[in-house]
Amino acid sequence: MAEKTGRVSGRRELEELIQTCVSIENRQFNPFLLDISEALRIIRRHAGSWKTLGDNLLDMRAITSLARVVGLQSANLRFQSSSLFVDPGMVKQKVESMSREQLAGFLLLSWHPVVELEQLTEASTKEALDYWQKMLSFFERRKRLQPGPFDSPGAMDTPELARMRVLEEKAFGRRLEDLRREMKEKIGEEGRVDYWTFVRASNFAATVLRAQMVSFLVSYGMAMLERKKEKMWLIPRDPPFSTGQGSPLSLPIPIPMEAVLPRAK
Amino acid sequence: MLFFKRGRVPGARSWELKTGLGKEYLKVLAQLDEALKDLDLEVKKVESQTLSDFKPGPDGEEEMRYFVRLKGTLTPKEARMTGWRIDNLAALAACMSLIVSKQGKSERKELEQIIGEKVGRWRALTLTDAFLRSGYLEEDEEGLMKIGWRTRAELDLESLMMLIAESKPKGAIVEEEPGEVSESAEPAEVEEPAEAVEAELEDQASTDG
Repeated sequence: MAEKTGRVSGRRELEELIQTCVSIENRQFNPFLLDISEALRIIRRHAGSWKTLGDNLLDMRAITSLARVVGLQSANLRFQSSSLFVDPGMVKQKVESMSREQLAGFLLLSWHPVVELEQLTEASTKEALDYWQKMLSFFERRKRLQPGPFDSPGAMDTPELARMRVLEEKAFGRRLEDLRREMKEKIGEEGRVDYWTFVRASNFAATVLRAQMVSFLVSYGMAMLERKKEKMWLIPRDPPFSTGQGSPLSLPIPIPMEAVLPRAK
Repeated sequence: MLFFKRGRVPGARSWELKTGLGKEYLKVLAQLDEALKDLDLEVKKVESQTLSDFKPGPDGEEEMRYFVRLKGTLTPKEARMTGWRIDNLAALAACMSLIVSKQGKSERKELEQIIGEKVGRWRALTLTDAFLRSGYLEEDEEGLMKIGWRTRAELDLESLMMLIAESKPKGAIVEEEPGEVSESAEPAEVEEPAEAVEAELEDQASTDG
């Protein structure tokens, strides 16, 4: 019983050790954080108790992982002794404190772009011509695929294309104007309407579509978006519109599913 | 052979040069290097172990790849003419310095975070992808980002690390030049569409074919 418990805890220890080694290999930890002699001691302690093939494979994986970490430690030491060594923390700090112009300037001082040309040569042109002449015709190649006879072309009317979302039922400008009118009808005495009350629709897709249309109304100066603390208000404008009246600011508005749910319920 | 791009990566492999120029191809390359000096260009040799996509030569000898690159460096004005924005250059510098300081490998999240602090999170995502496609970065099988073939060929990493390590913080520069507008005084950043970022790196990304 005690032997079995020992094997279970041994497996767990080896799995943890392998996991640590994998994390080190994935550059999540410094390779020197792992005490190699302690890790070897753990592997040695359990080595005698392994009986099954699976346990021995686990033991082998642990040793291999440990060897890779030792390899990384060695590479780390070699790197630290080279002229390329700079502490990652320091690099991050330096990069964060530098302006884009400074960084770009440093890159330019170390950058030697490769020269490459793309041009037709006589040999490649001959090769291409040869390929073209040897190529079977489209109909010959089609026969090999056995796709059956060609479908004869059919006709589709506008409502059908609109249903397939190939064509818009209404022109974009017309849809914007309709939405502005709808907004105007919904404004209260204050002359404005709550953003979410106006944008919210019966489902998420429709809400996103209305939010997108509203963003165009605001950009084109057909409506104004007013933001006070948590609340956002839409104020419709009357023609003539000019793009100069449009909002110069970009205002990202996330659309959470909860924004749609109250009406959907 | 060195100038024309054949396939995804420019330059030529050592065995290709050997086949084309004969056994003494190294002497030819040395002469070419000498001749290119007048044009401010040079022949750059990159070892195979640093280029993950290069396979060993047919006769099993150690594979090298040779590129022709600019010998000197570009001024900011010249760099602008190549279509690179300051943001892209700064992001690449930040990226490379972090990866080098972490011995050549770093998590993508960490890279995006450091670039994001300079150019915004959304742009950081598109720039990281663009650097991957153009060969400045490579992703290994564990999903870690490492230095790509183009970085080995184009960047003098020792010089970059030296410059970054010796740099003075932004505050010190503002003190020295009181007229300069600090970053914090800049208006709110407007993020650009992905197409714009892609277009800026088109020259480099086009090498991927």
